[in-house]
Amino acid sequence: MRSGLHYLWTALAILFGVLVLSGYVLAVPSLQSIRSLLMQWAVVLSAAALLLGLVNMLSVHWNKVGAQEKGWPYSALLLLSLLGTFILGLVFGPDSAILTALFNDIQQPVEASLVALLAITLTVAGFRLVARRRNAASVVFAVSALIVLLGTGPWLIGGDGSWFLTMGELRAWWSQVWAAGAARGLLLGVALGATVTGLRVLLGSDRPYGD
Amino acid sequence: MTVQDGLTIGVVVGLAVALVALTLAERRWPTTLRRVAAFEALDAAIERAVEAGERVHLSLGTGSLIGSDCAPALAGATALAKIAEATAMSDRPVVASAGDGALAVLAQDALRGAYARTGAKDHYRATTGRMLGPTPFSYAAALPVILSSEKVSVHLLTGSFGAEGALAAEMGERQKAYVLAGSDQVQTQALFFTTAEHTLVGEEVFVTGAYLQGSGMQRASLRLQDGLRLALAAAIVIGTLLRTLGVGL
Repeated sequence: MRSGLHYLWTALAILFGVLVLSGYVLAVPSLQSIRSLLMQWAVVLSAAALLLGLVNMLSVHWNKVGAQEKGWPYSALLLLSLLGTFILGLVFGPDSAILTALFNDIQQPVEASLVALLAITLTVAGFRLVARRRNAASVVFAVSALIVLLGTGPWLIGGDGSWFLTMGELRAWWSQVWAAGAARGLLLGVALGATVTGLRVLLGSDRPYGD
Repeated sequence: MTVQDGLTIGVVVGLAVALVALTLAERRWPTTLRRVAAFEALDAAIERAVEAGERVHLSLGTGSLIGSDCAPALAGATALAKIAEATAMSDRPVVASAGDGALAVLAQDALRGAYARTGAKDHYRATTGRMLGPTPFSYAAALPVILSSEKVSVHLLTGSFGAEGALAAEMGERQKAYVLAGSDQVQTQALFFTTAEHTLVGEEVFVTGAYLQGSGMQRASLRLQDGLRLALAAAIVIGTLLRTLGVGL
């Protein structure tokens, strides 16, 4: 059952949405300063929401450790790391050498290894795509990937022969004419979709913020 | 106020009026939705998950709520509410995740509202709307845990994703879940085409709500989108012809 408050939330969402949109599209200084102020509030609220998200994460993993669910040692490790980093940040400051070292020596290498994993994942997924979805779109996708690989990686077929130069020209034609044209079409669709979604929120039809 | 300001106001107001008019016309001339295989399979997959006591997971992506990449997450939150309503009576209600604290709060709010509307307030748990990691790849690294521990069999990605989206979709495939993935980033859509069983292309990421028994305005907005696309295409073709003929624009 809804409380009457949802009318208030909807009215506030519409009001602030219209104010921010007006500040972006109209060259009126007062509207622009209101938009700037509202965006500053949004940034502060977003930072507070990050803290809420961390508390939420803590409670999920705390419950997992408490219930000794499968994989609980990983949750315990996450809790210790999170609390340890948080305390170090409070004591030494976010720009301290120790926190920078933690970021550069642990966080960055782990994320870089995930990027490396991405290359293998995509290769395997590419083979799976051709095996599983044998339709025209998959064939075009696979042929395009092959053209780009052959036209970009000279080590495969020799970097100075006429074959490589031809493949390079084919790759450029394929990516700059066909792929870029298709990507622009998709981008237009995405822009229209985002605009219409924004309109629905502004008109109070979509209320993703709940009731 | 400049002429450009007037034009901008005219376009925004004109679009809003057109959307309201199309919504009113929806009762008399209802929009016929194009068949999208991914959405047809989604209904069946959700039903199967509810019957088998498995869970639906919806990701709102690794974008932010206050950035320019928030639109797909807003559309995703609407879809989340619809799915939560549909699975409210399941033993394992839907779980949502995001890579941003504000999006996690938005997911919690959408879930709370959906359960309140279906009279299942007690099904709501704050931990069903989670922030998994504040950076894109930490988010992707945390996904396998939620997929396996929550017995996820429907894995939906509707938000803004970068390259990490490919890993996120692949993890669902490895779990042998139904995977439906869409993003506002064109490069990520290409990655999803390779890694996900079902991919949302172009603006399809914004229409999930309309296909899940959406409101009249959601369905009408598809008509508006199509109309605008046709108008833009016509403008591009006419502009190209005029330019080719040497008419200055």
